[in-house]
Amino acid sequence: MPETDWPVGIAEMKTARSPDRLSAIGLGSCVGVAVWDEESGWGALAHVMLPAQNGLSRVPVRGKFADTAVEWLVAELVQKGVDQGRLKAKLVGGANMFNAIQYNPLPVGTRNVMACREELTKRGIPVLAEEVGGTKGRSILFLPQDGRLLIRSLNQPERWI
Amino acid sequence: MGAGHAATALSQMVGRPIGMSITQVQILPTEQIAEFLGGEQADVAAVYMPVYGDICGVVLIFFPIDILPDLAGLLLKRDSQANQELSDLDRSAIKELGSILTGSYLSALYRFIHVQMIHGVPTLVIDMAQAILDTVLVDLEQKDDFAIVIETRLTENERRLTGRFFLLPEAGTLPKLFNAFTQSIETPGNA
Repeated sequence: MPETDWPVGIAEMKTARSPDRLSAIGLGSCVGVAVWDEESGWGALAHVMLPAQNGLSRVPVRGKFADTAVEWLVAELVQKGVDQGRLKAKLVGGANMFNAIQYNPLPVGTRNVMACREELTKRGIPVLAEEVGGTKGRSILFLPQDGRLLIRSLNQPERWI
Repeated sequence: MGAGHAATALSQMVGRPIGMSITQVQILPTEQIAEFLGGEQADVAAVYMPVYGDICGVVLIFFPIDILPDLAGLLLKRDSQANQELSDLDRSAIKELGSILTGSYLSALYRFIHVQMIHGVPTLVIDMAQAILDTVLVDLEQKDDFAIVIETRLTENERRLTGRFFLLPEAGTLPKLFNAFTQSIETPGNA
């Protein structure tokens, strides 16, 4: 069976098992949180918009916030029979594209990355690699079989982390 | 009518006649914007401006990247060369164009529907359409609302350049805008 790429849209979350792959297109200040277990080949990807729910949203969308999204990612994978202790993570995104006019010393992209890191650390999940910050948007392709992540941005060479 | 004022302002800025016409106006769900611009991965240029007033939100004016040198040439009164790197002056001229267009559209909206808005400082971003939208939607904390789209064509001699103006109101403010539209239709003579 040929592998399938599952696109994860803004504020969405999905799980997939190797050889299937997960992708997110156009991460700006959003963060792609990729979590996987190499042994079982299960992985999950969230396209996080904001650091924390804090009663902010009118409609509860768990994939939107770092805290609720990481909780969901772990719960879904554990439900598939994955041992939480084997989970590893990578982070991509959190750019500050409109840097010039945002005087906020901690723009939302940066806060998103900090929140995702914190939520993962809290659950004992190591962040093995990340490409975050900067001013460019990124598209990613995530391979749950070994956690490799392909990153594309405008006018820059493709790279794997 | 917003375009008429903007054309006058632009012609004054560049010192020669520039025509401007609105070719299309529509309401679009935000998740369809990227598709409308040629796909999520399409590389585009956008002038971004925050908007404040009766309705807060963001204005984005999208231009295809391949017309940027032409656009800058039109504004700075010089012949454009293809594949030319944008200078700081070029970027500044394109931002100014965004500012003029936005000011005109916002004052037209005020005359039509009595919703008062002013815009902030413009920024020029060149990136994937979806990444620009992603960031803007985060700022507005909205995901499934609508945007107002006004397609505008600039003409000078044989040059024809098209830009797309998007007004994305903050989450939950679109009903306010629709009410204003409905009222202005029900009260003849306002427009």
